[in-house]
Amino acid sequence: MSDILLDIRDLSIIYATDDGVTEALNGACLQLRKGESLGLVGETGAGKTTLARGIMRLIPNPPGKIVSGQVFYDGRDIMELSEKEMCALRGRQISMIFQDPMTSLNPVMTVGEQIREVIITHHPNLSKAESRKQAEEMLEMVGIVASRYDDYPHQFSGGMKQRVVIAIALACNPQLLIADEPTTALDVTIQAQVLEMIHGLKVKNNTAMLLITHDLGVVAQNCDTVAIIYAGEIVEYGTLQQVYKNILHPYTEGLFGSVPRLETNSKRLAAIDGMMPDPTALPKGCKFAERCKYATDRCRAELPDMYELEDGHKVRCFRYEKEAQ
Amino acid sequence: MAGTTNEILRVEHLKKYFPVPNGMLHAVDDISFTLERGKTLGVVGESGCGKSTMGRAILRLHEPTSGSVVFDGQDVVAMNKAQLKALRRDMQIVFQDPFASLNPRMTVGEAIAAPLLVQKLYERKDKDGIQKRVREIMDMVGLAPRLINTYPHELDGGRRQRIGIARALALKPKFIVCDEPVSALDVSIQAQILNLMQDLQDNLGLTYLFVTHDLSVVKYISDDILVMYLGQMVEKAPADKLFSKPMHPYTQALLSAIPIPDPDKPMNRITMKGEITSPVNPGTGCRFAKRCPYATEACTSQDMVLTEPEADHFVTCLRVQRGEI
Amino acid sequence: MEKTKTNTQRSLWQDAWRRFRKNRTAMAGLIFLCLLVLIAVATVVIDVVTQKEFYNTYVTSQNLVERLKGPSLEHPFGQDEYGRDILMRMLWGVRYSLFMGGIAIIFSLIVGGALGALAGYYGKVIDTVLMRFMDILLAIPSMLLATAIVAALGTSLVNVLIAIGIAYIPTFARTVRASVLTVKDQEFIEAARSIGCNDREIIFKYIVPNAMAPIIVQATLGLAGAILSIAGLSFLGLGIQPPTPEWGAMLSNARNYFRDAWHVTVIPGLGIMLTILSLNLMGDGLRDALDPRMKN
Repeated sequence: MSDILLDIRDLSIIYATDDGVTEALNGACLQLRKGESLGLVGETGAGKTTLARGIMRLIPNPPGKIVSGQVFYDGRDIMELSEKEMCALRGRQISMIFQDPMTSLNPVMTVGEQIREVIITHHPNLSKAESRKQAEEMLEMVGIVASRYDDYPHQFSGGMKQRVVIAIALACNPQLLIADEPTTALDVTIQAQVLEMIHGLKVKNNTAMLLITHDLGVVAQNCDTVAIIYAGEIVEYGTLQQVYKNILHPYTEGLFGSVPRLETNSKRLAAIDGMMPDPTALPKGCKFAERCKYATDRCRAELPDMYELEDGHKVRCFRYEKEAQ
Repeated sequence: MAGTTNEILRVEHLKKYFPVPNGMLHAVDDISFTLERGKTLGVVGESGCGKSTMGRAILRLHEPTSGSVVFDGQDVVAMNKAQLKALRRDMQIVFQDPFASLNPRMTVGEAIAAPLLVQKLYERKDKDGIQKRVREIMDMVGLAPRLINTYPHELDGGRRQRIGIARALALKPKFIVCDEPVSALDVSIQAQILNLMQDLQDNLGLTYLFVTHDLSVVKYISDDILVMYLGQMVEKAPADKLFSKPMHPYTQALLSAIPIPDPDKPMNRITMKGEITSPVNPGTGCRFAKRCPYATEACTSQDMVLTEPEADHFVTCLRVQRGEI
Repeated sequence: MEKTKTNTQRSLWQDAWRRFRKNRTAMAGLIFLCLLVLIAVATVVIDVVTQKEFYNTYVTSQNLVERLKGPSLEHPFGQDEYGRDILMRMLWGVRYSLFMGGIAIIFSLIVGGALGALAGYYGKVIDTVLMRFMDILLAIPSMLLATAIVAALGTSLVNVLIAIGIAYIPTFARTVRASVLTVKDQEFIEAARSIGCNDREIIFKYIVPNAMAPIIVQATLGLAGAILSIAGLSFLGLGIQPPTPEWGAMLSNARNYFRDAWHVTVIPGLGIMLTILSLNLMGDGLRDALDPRMKN
């Protein structure tokens, strides 16, 4: 079990606002091995970003609060760490890439200096020339010529900015990279470039990655394991092959049915009716019951457990209760 | 491109330039096509390629710099204000951002009634008549009647986009420009809206100009697809043909960059090198030449000509022109 | 998120009011202002009903025997240099500050707002010409500008209003222009154009309601400034003349007696201060309540 880098156990996070208490994340369990990529797929408001922030202990409090659960990083419980220890972990061991490259760069600092800043923070003994050289290497690594070191973010295109963000995130060889919709703001050709680059760097440094996205295609091309999240709960979890080739949960089924496929000529999409429940008034039973074509009375009254099938494929649906036993 | 009786829209040599500090931005540069009644023309391209500007120039929400737009036998470019106002009944637009495209101070009912009142289809005093028509339209787009007095900020993206569609349908138009209507929506909601738009097309005989950056969506919804690159049309073909036999190197690269949601079908991405040509004062030659793997000197020294290598398949590429492909 | 199940559809204004109510200092400001408005209206009604008899008997009649007497049961705020009851004079003075300030601000709001809307909506040459002119006006301190205008036109109630109204035009023009510019580029304006709305319909139905929030805040804060300017002009002797019980004029007359009788200066001073304070508190509260970034 020593190769498990990240072990999230029963993590629950709430947001308490004037409009009521939002259960943003409910009992999430995930594991990530060293060098492995986990794709977290879900729609807006499903709790993807909350989960990522929870791992980084960056939940704004108030209104957010981690109500239960543990997050083990390399065997240590993150929840037990002091703020100072946590700071050392962030950036040095765990890095994060945000969706919007435009807002995560400092507009009044050259891109090179922003990379160098991260390097000096974690290697305070480096001389200026040495740290600059390392920063230039990082730029080259993400495919930007070192001569653009002294340029400001506004002189870069969106795709290049996102590459700078990635360079910053990878500047100190993190063990874990959390990428929150890293390519959603980018064009498809640039997205392909960026993902390819992340993949290359990952392999080189044996970095593990939590890739948060709504795009099933991006996950299929970049991840080893997949977790599907709906209304704050992980509903299906398994290897890429298990989840994509043997869809179990009705929501995953709906998700796949909703994506227009290039290889087939479907004339109508198998859309899921309805919409995600109001997070301040979640139903008592299965969160998906309202939209599920297989739902029974039991689904509406009782929350299903996460059932594990023989091959390790996990699903939160009563239809697999027997099979799991 | 001979005119047929079924033709609803004919665009010829349409250009839209914007003055910018260092020259002219060629947003739409010499685009010609025809569109048949009841069909959908998908327009794809990456951000900044001018696809949205083209849609707006056809509607004269942006004044075209030159060229002609003939809608149902009338020259749109030559119309005066009164004629243009009357034209709005037949040509409508659905916007990308369901959050920005609705007046936050108007209720759902008011927003849908606004076009009816502006176009004087109903007397302002005829409250019952308006109410009846608004409910009719709401029913058509799948909005529950109880939402008539809610404000947009109380609704989710999917419902807001239904309001946007309802507003466009209120005047019973023949032709709708859909400017990325689903790209701001979640996958499962996107499928609902796409299905709705197809049903509306089938029931009302609508013609769509569907602008999007999402190739899977465009293949699903379109009869014909027009690919744009930096203001120019590089390829236009029936949807199936474009995907099965793309001819322009840009189209090929674009298609190869789509991540397929199937772990057993790895991507075979065509790498594009070089920098994107600036759309400001682009000069002669193919605008894709700098990134094209097949580019020769001839590509940058002469202007490209639109050729039709096979029936209904138009390509702007020197290699096709020379018969090399 | 859908909150319609409870059937409580709230417009953005109602949402703002809900947030405003939670802000205690802003509510205190609002309550104090409501009180002032009530007083102003009540005194006007009394004047009309009694045909100024009450005013002549209690507000302006002199009683030199009891001049500068401190607060007592009979005169809780004391008496001034002519033995007049300060409480009565304060109550009768509310209307000048509040109504004149209000009229001046409405004047500058209408003129400045129209200019700003024109500049913001049409842009280009109109924008440049109008806004450069506003910049020139803005370069002169508003108090100085008002003083100059009154000095040129002569001291009268109407001239004070004109002076202050003009002095506040540039501020409103700028605010309105800025908010029109932000709203103008929103997609829903283009949507309005796509259904065939003309400029007038777009400005009044789509731009104005959405540009209101910063304008309301500016008007509240501007009112505080205008009241202060009126008092200032009166203090300098350029505004409302004695024996009219205007607070600034009262303060001005009283300053000669400050060593002998503190209450004669402190009470009008406090009156002005509290009014300005409550307007500013309310303005801040409004800004927080109307700011869309505060939403959710």
